[in-house]
Amino acid sequence: MLIGIDVGGTTTDAVLIDEGKVIKTSKVPTDHDHLLECLMAALDEIVLGIPPEKIERVVLSTTLITNLIAEGKTDPVALIIEPGPGMNPDGYSLGGEVQIVRGAIDYRGREIEALDEDQVEKAAAKIAERGYRKVAVASKFGQRNHAHEERMRETVMRTIPGVHVEMGHQASGRLNFPRRAATTVLKAAAMDEYRKFAGEVAKAVAGRRIQAPVYILKADGGTLPLATSIEHPVETIFSGPAASTMGVLALTPTGQTSVVVDIGGTTTDIALILDGSPLISSEGARVNSYLTHIRAFAVKSVALGGDSRVRAVGGRVAVGPERAGPAFCLGGPEPTPTDAMRILNLISIGERNLAEEAMANLGKKLGCSAGEAAQTVVDAAVEILIREIDEMFLAWEEEPAYRVWEILQKEKIRPQNVVGVGGGSLGLVPLVAERLGARGIIPDNATVANAIGAAVARPTLTLTFRADTERGFYTVAEDGTTGEIRDRRFGQKEAEEMAKRLIIERAADMGIGEYAAEAVLTASEVFNMVRGWSTSGRILDVSMQIPAGLIPEWTGGGRG
Amino acid sequence: MTSPREVKGEARKMGLIFFPAFDWAITPTHPEREERLLYTRDQIFEEGLMDLPEVEEYKPRLAEHKDIARVHFCIPSVEALVTEAHLIAAGSTLVLADAYMKGEINNAFALVRPPGHHSMRVAHGNRGFCNVNNEAIMVEYIRRKYGIRRVAIIDTDVHHGDGTQEIFYHDPDVLFISFHQDGRTLYPGSGFVDEQGGPKAMGRTINIPLPPETPDEGIHYVLKELVLPILEEFRPQLVVNSAGQDNHYTDPLANMRFSAQGYAKLNEMLAPDIAVLEGGYAIESALPYVNCGIILAMAGLDYSNVREPDYHPGRFSMSRTMEANITGTVEYLQGVWDAREELTAKAVERAGPFFRRHKNIFYDTDGIRERQTESVKMCPDKSCPGYMTIDTDAVRGYGQSESGFGTFVPLFACKSCREEAREEYEAHKTDSRYNYIFFQDKNRDEYRLYSTRMHNERVY
Repeated sequence: MLIGIDVGGTTTDAVLIDEGKVIKTSKVPTDHDHLLECLMAALDEIVLGIPPEKIERVVLSTTLITNLIAEGKTDPVALIIEPGPGMNPDGYSLGGEVQIVRGAIDYRGREIEALDEDQVEKAAAKIAERGYRKVAVASKFGQRNHAHEERMRETVMRTIPGVHVEMGHQASGRLNFPRRAATTVLKAAAMDEYRKFAGEVAKAVAGRRIQAPVYILKADGGTLPLATSIEHPVETIFSGPAASTMGVLALTPTGQTSVVVDIGGTTTDIALILDGSPLISSEGARVNSYLTHIRAFAVKSVALGGDSRVRAVGGRVAVGPERAGPAFCLGGPEPTPTDAMRILNLISIGERNLAEEAMANLGKKLGCSAGEAAQTVVDAAVEILIREIDEMFLAWEEEPAYRVWEILQKEKIRPQNVVGVGGGSLGLVPLVAERLGARGIIPDNATVANAIGAAVARPTLTLTFRADTERGFYTVAEDGTTGEIRDRRFGQKEAEEMAKRLIIERAADMGIGEYAAEAVLTASEVFNMVRGWSTSGRILDVSMQIPAGLIPEWTGGGRG
Repeated sequence: MTSPREVKGEARKMGLIFFPAFDWAITPTHPEREERLLYTRDQIFEEGLMDLPEVEEYKPRLAEHKDIARVHFCIPSVEALVTEAHLIAAGSTLVLADAYMKGEINNAFALVRPPGHHSMRVAHGNRGFCNVNNEAIMVEYIRRKYGIRRVAIIDTDVHHGDGTQEIFYHDPDVLFISFHQDGRTLYPGSGFVDEQGGPKAMGRTINIPLPPETPDEGIHYVLKELVLPILEEFRPQLVVNSAGQDNHYTDPLANMRFSAQGYAKLNEMLAPDIAVLEGGYAIESALPYVNCGIILAMAGLDYSNVREPDYHPGRFSMSRTMEANITGTVEYLQGVWDAREELTAKAVERAGPFFRRHKNIFYDTDGIRERQTESVKMCPDKSCPGYMTIDTDAVRGYGQSESGFGTFVPLFACKSCREEAREEYEAHKTDSRYNYIFFQDKNRDEYRLYSTRMHNERVY
């Protein structure tokens, strides 16, 4: 049996799945100050009467890190950067305590200016004086050569006893130095709190005699064993929308293109599934004011929900963006889309006469009947959603491309399905689907799709391999692994084989070795390096990934 | 129409298209290969420039064949001459042109390859790494679509922008200024001070040959003393930087001494509306830094921290002889510019009813030798630039010869020139001395290609 638990903003949802079928669901209110208790309350409810040995897998999706960061409750972190030539480093918005040191690595990982060790020492002393216990060090192109980051780390550790230091190349190896520095800071900031939380979860689960492996859901829809996740605390942010999208993936026909519309009380999250693959944002996630390298689904949040306040403004209807309270028909203070849907018989929750009253009042201001007012409100809400969905597809189509084939192959895609999850979807999703010429789907168990998504999501993993045969070494962007390449004839075939071997090793290290076979090649490029009219070496870029997907226990089971 | 240049002020973004064509090369070891912008990609992505609120990244698109036919007589056809990479490089400039003209962005940089500024109106193949002329395609697209007239193209590549010069040679509304390493010492061996424009456009072509090893200081001098004052007087509605990066002190194909700081400052001084990448083959030692500097300068950001690893201020200086050479050239060209009206009047008088010139053109990349006779009607109507015919004959290697006859009607040609040109085209369709007959009518935005062997006509 599989268990999925998603700690959402309002409720914590849990499901129990057996042989590909959802056999039990539960919802408890989320208490942000006691997340662990919520999790366990939901878990206890769902496993009631189930022998613990029958449970094979537990997956959690939590807002813990998202909340801690948003509330500024993470540990203060000082940052030492080695920016080298380029932008004025004062232009980076990295906030907090930032020390700049001289030294530089270039795009091929060559040292072009020695690290100024004295400066590092002085910076560390300053940081110590200000009482920081956490330090992030990041060097531009540190992912191509992390010698300077290692030396900065050593110096800081020597100068500040008991300090914890995170290095940029281990936070992310992707290009984009400011994002890497920010990601490193967040990692250092969240590390301890997350470790504490993970330890408590492990203890609580073990206390319930559940032997099954426990996983945590990441923002890219993949799962990570709880024990390994301690090294990757920030990857768990925004797992909520990822959980819903994975749920839709699990509840709709395979291989199709769908818009996922998760309509809550105040906001609607929109995500895309293209030919069966959830769309990953081409850039990393934004966390508060920080741009990061954290892989996440492309999710658009729109200020529109079932409880959005509806007003008449200059003879026209304005829906949202704020929420004044619950819907009028549920005892709230102001008319809402829920009231409009109620009297149009699109939904059946709340008091019909209260909904009538809300729409009649609105109608008076608009100079029309209650029914007409309701239709206007629903039309306006649908209009907003259609516009946002269109914009999302357009943004995807307009994503920059750097290769001829990418420009030639990208075609206009429109959705086959509009899939509604979340409380407000029932009334609006069919209308949105109709307007888009797509099939509207409200799956069974739509209100716990997030927990289902968590329960059946498989691990994800990426590996970005670069070999520079002229310089005779390779790097793995994700964790800063480097190694020598002695064979000057090392070519594309060898690079792809090596990348495959490395992703298998990496999967084993992460505790997800059984999924390594799912790894696919996503890009492979060779650049012949020509110096003085003859080939002096090659740069080989190979990317592999285990994409977001569903575990075989689900795909083999209950989908018909 | 008013161009955005005339209504500037409001702070907006710079538009950027980065199209490195990582899957396209002339040949695997050619300077124009996949690797060319690889390190530039690494540098500008690592800098996080695309995340800056001042920078808006756009996606390239393919130019249409008609956009190419609006500028070029392609032999044997547009389809045969261009690859998809060429259409994307040209198309990128059109995306940015639209964004700029619609006021979405303050200025734009098409950081794209393959380049184009050696491509002339007649294109038989690849010449100086170029098949079609990106700047000319963009300028004619903008003029056609948005109705602006006066354009200045400043060619800052180390090589003379001979293709762009040739395309606009007779157009008094396009000011073409090129500074480059002296043609006696570098490909394509042209761009001398006496190439000043066709009879009706004298002074609208300005060539500034510079001595080898000219550093930042020399080029900034030329800009400040000559280029900027001319622009001030010409009042263009659009300024284009044909932005080569091979004046750099490490470029393997040329001998100048320009730095990344120098390039950034050049773009700050010139303030082009749209810059389009041309050459530049110091792919490691120059391009990552030069491009970073140009993007920051165009986005209005501090570029003072951009420097090559081996550069220090004051590394290069000018000798007295070099200084005298440059000031002499600048002074002479100021005279040409000031006297442009008299020069035009004299040249028109000297030309008679038709201005004719013969040209021998060599396509280094494809090994093609072309002979051309260009003939421009000296229309008595002063405001009419007259129509032009080109008689071309090209031999590829030791192989076959391709010949063509093209007639070109500029945008502001008078009615009788338009009619006469049309008659020329129709008359030559039966002329079996030529394989291809071309017709470009900018007024009607109609471009025709007739094959005398196949007896069929294509209309773009």
